[in-house]
Amino acid sequence: MNLAVLRTSILSALAWALAACGGGEPGQRSLTNLPEFCQEVLPRVDAYLSQFAQPTGERYGGTVVIGSIGEMPDGMNALVSSDYQSSQVQKFMHLMTLVDFDEELQPRPYLAESWEFDEENRELTFHLRDDVFWHDGTPTSAYDVEFTYVRITDPETAFPNAAFWSHYVQGPDGVAVLDSLTVRFSLAPHAEFLDPWRATAIMPRHLLEDVPSAELRQHPFGTRCPVGNGPFVFENHQIDASWSFVRNPAFPEGLGGPPFLDRQVYRIIPEQTTLLAELLTENIDFYIAPGPDQTPQIQEAEALELRSFPFPSYDLVGWNSRRPQLSDARVRQAITLATNREEIVQAIRQGYGEVANAGVPPFHWGFFEGIRDSLQYDPERAATILDEAGWVDRDGNGVRENSDGTPLEISIKYNLGNQQREDIALIMQAQLQPLGIAVTPQVVEWGTLLNQINTPEIRDFDGVVIGWVTEFRLDDHDLFHSEEVDQPFGWSGTQDLELDRLIDTLQTVVDREEAIPLWREYQYRLLEVQPYTYLYHIERLAGLNRRLQGVVLDARGEWMNIKDWWIPADLR
Amino acid sequence: MIPFLVRRLLGAVPIVLGIATIVFFVLSLAPGDAASFFVSPNITPEVLEQMRRNMGLDQPVHIRYLRWMGSMLRGDFGISFSRNQPVRDIIAEILPNTLILAFCAVVLAFAAGILIGVFQAVRQNRFSDSSLSVVGLFFYSMPSFWLALMLILIFSLSARNLWDWPIWFPVSGMTSVDYPFMGPMEQLRDRVMHLVLPSVSLALVLAAGIARYMRGSMLEVIRQDYIRTARSKGLSEASVIFKHALRNGLIPIITLLGLYLPFLFSGAVLIETVFAWPGMGRLLVDAIFQRDYPVVMAGTFIFAVMVVVGNLIADVLYALVDPRIRYD
Repeated sequence: MNLAVLRTSILSALAWALAACGGGEPGQRSLTNLPEFCQEVLPRVDAYLSQFAQPTGERYGGTVVIGSIGEMPDGMNALVSSDYQSSQVQKFMHLMTLVDFDEELQPRPYLAESWEFDEENRELTFHLRDDVFWHDGTPTSAYDVEFTYVRITDPETAFPNAAFWSHYVQGPDGVAVLDSLTVRFSLAPHAEFLDPWRATAIMPRHLLEDVPSAELRQHPFGTRCPVGNGPFVFENHQIDASWSFVRNPAFPEGLGGPPFLDRQVYRIIPEQTTLLAELLTENIDFYIAPGPDQTPQIQEAEALELRSFPFPSYDLVGWNSRRPQLSDARVRQAITLATNREEIVQAIRQGYGEVANAGVPPFHWGFFEGIRDSLQYDPERAATILDEAGWVDRDGNGVRENSDGTPLEISIKYNLGNQQREDIALIMQAQLQPLGIAVTPQVVEWGTLLNQINTPEIRDFDGVVIGWVTEFRLDDHDLFHSEEVDQPFGWSGTQDLELDRLIDTLQTVVDREEAIPLWREYQYRLLEVQPYTYLYHIERLAGLNRRLQGVVLDARGEWMNIKDWWIPADLR
Repeated sequence: MIPFLVRRLLGAVPIVLGIATIVFFVLSLAPGDAASFFVSPNITPEVLEQMRRNMGLDQPVHIRYLRWMGSMLRGDFGISFSRNQPVRDIIAEILPNTLILAFCAVVLAFAAGILIGVFQAVRQNRFSDSSLSVVGLFFYSMPSFWLALMLILIFSLSARNLWDWPIWFPVSGMTSVDYPFMGPMEQLRDRVMHLVLPSVSLALVLAAGIARYMRGSMLEVIRQDYIRTARSKGLSEASVIFKHALRNGLIPIITLLGLYLPFLFSGAVLIETVFAWPGMGRLLVDAIFQRDYPVVMAGTFIFAVMVVVGNLIADVLYALVDPRIRYD
């Protein structure tokens, strides 16, 4: 065998392979390998948008690169998606919601210009803007809203957040199109009834109406060729690698006109260290949620900026009160008192968090200041409470027992791969041991853990370290209501009549001012019942390159004002 | 040779199908299924059941297996539960990424390993031999992801930010963000730059092992009588080593090729994760964790085929390199 021939053939094969993957004209959309649906839809989008001139002006231009650790598996199809990043990108970049929130978390117009709520007749009427068009030129109308609602409430779609509309009249009976820009819904008055419309993007009827509901999830619209009506137009999606969007030059002037950025690339980088390296080499401009331990490096770099902002999410240890050691609320309170949660915030979040005593985030209008400092670290009081509850170390082995001789042994589960939760379990083990509570941390693979805690017949856990992301419409019904004890999220098994009453009432109170005293009672009651040991509310982090201007980050999400971000001309 | 190849390929079919069957049933034993990841307070049990029906998960295991086998034999690998796209399209997009990386890593690893092994054999027991052995052992023992991170630290991060080197490599990804706007030559350069660090990380570990085997094999060959004959004929040392000894020393290395190829094709998931390389390894591991059984099955199937093909290539190469080996 001639080595020279072999060598030449290897090199030429290599060069050919690399060049062949080059493919296509620079900048042009490639339609090969796309399903038929996409091959029809995308040229229409290109044809429509090419009619509009790109805006000129000092701030217009530039590409922003965002780095994220996860893919957006559900894509831009709001009817089937539930994961956080997908819905954020849908709401703020690619599609539009009827309303959104201002800084005070009050609803304000977006796709809907105005609305009326007739409490007596139980009707909510939206009036839509007339200057919003889908990226292929079709006007956005009330029929799109009707289509979205009917499909969402259709059980065959299996819309993951169907419970948003549990107080609305379901299905086609609950919605009426009065004219092309006016749509009316029937509902029972309840708290935060506008919130589902802040959370769900409207979908295009003309492209999806022929798709059977059961097939919506797998339709190529979501992941191969989504068409939206928002400030950014879908350009390309490479599986596991990137999503890219370009400016919508036809975005209405009445909403601020087209965004400043030319282009926006959302890169998927599944390793935190790599994300940090990309941020430090200025290859990405925005690092979503860096780990708290990475913050010093971001702060030291001149070209970078670290931001922290409140976020509707908290970490907790959920207790299974069906277990004999944990059935007494005093034991749960004692555990909370014996855990130095301030220390945990410092150790786990490097201070980017705030000790939590209830599932109401501090920025939320229902938050009650008075409980902020409750149940502070007090191991002596914890010991006293445990003594009173009958848990005493009777045989001198360092672990308390009750009068039956059952030792106070608890296992705390956490999911594989999450270093922070592992650390929390270990810290609690160390802090509770001097108190005579024997904690065993146990690691479980994520899917298996979900199965163990969510399956009512199994519920195989004592305590579990887990995180919880809330909506702005807070409703702990599925967590703590006694009728949920045998449903997936009744982890704690709580059956408290007072909590039930408060949860049920809060669901129906429409006016926020009226609801505030109830929220206060609710949070007090949570302190007494202690179904969970709430650990901390998370302060979310972001690592930005300083060349990005105009970025506003708060509890509403990272992309909330992305159409107003701009990059100075010399830094593009 | 041809009848031999045909027989081998036919014999591989039941093996591959058997592997796929075992993987299917083992995966179905794992607790939880693809729908259980959607469980949230906003989803009712009825919706979850509907989701399961939509995905076909409400059927008993043996029915699902038969349906999967039937559609697979027709070329339809089904639709991914986690990515909501046809599995065939996903694999078509992702497999080439892994093939490119694997190919470069293999070329680099074998070229470097063979050359270093030969060098070590020729300079046996001298300082260069021992020091190369130590260095080789170092790289062989290092976990690949640590090596990858170190390469990023040195050749991307520090090279650019700390030491201002004229050339520094991109940290991750297959192409730059402006790749669609580049001309063909620039695109080729971009791809090569992105390939360097990942393939070197993969290749370093393999090369160390190959060098070791090559050294041992060459040492044995060099002691043979025909080598002494060649030298006494007056041939140059280079001719003796590279023309006569090398070819005989390569035989055990070909075994390694047969062993390493499937490993690389299945995707080196740690390297792919660190370098954000959208490859088969990441795809498979994510699919397993998400109980996305269409993707797991398709990936396993391809992996099994690659193992068979890899071994077949190794056997063919044996016959090419060693004229004593003949298949009928």
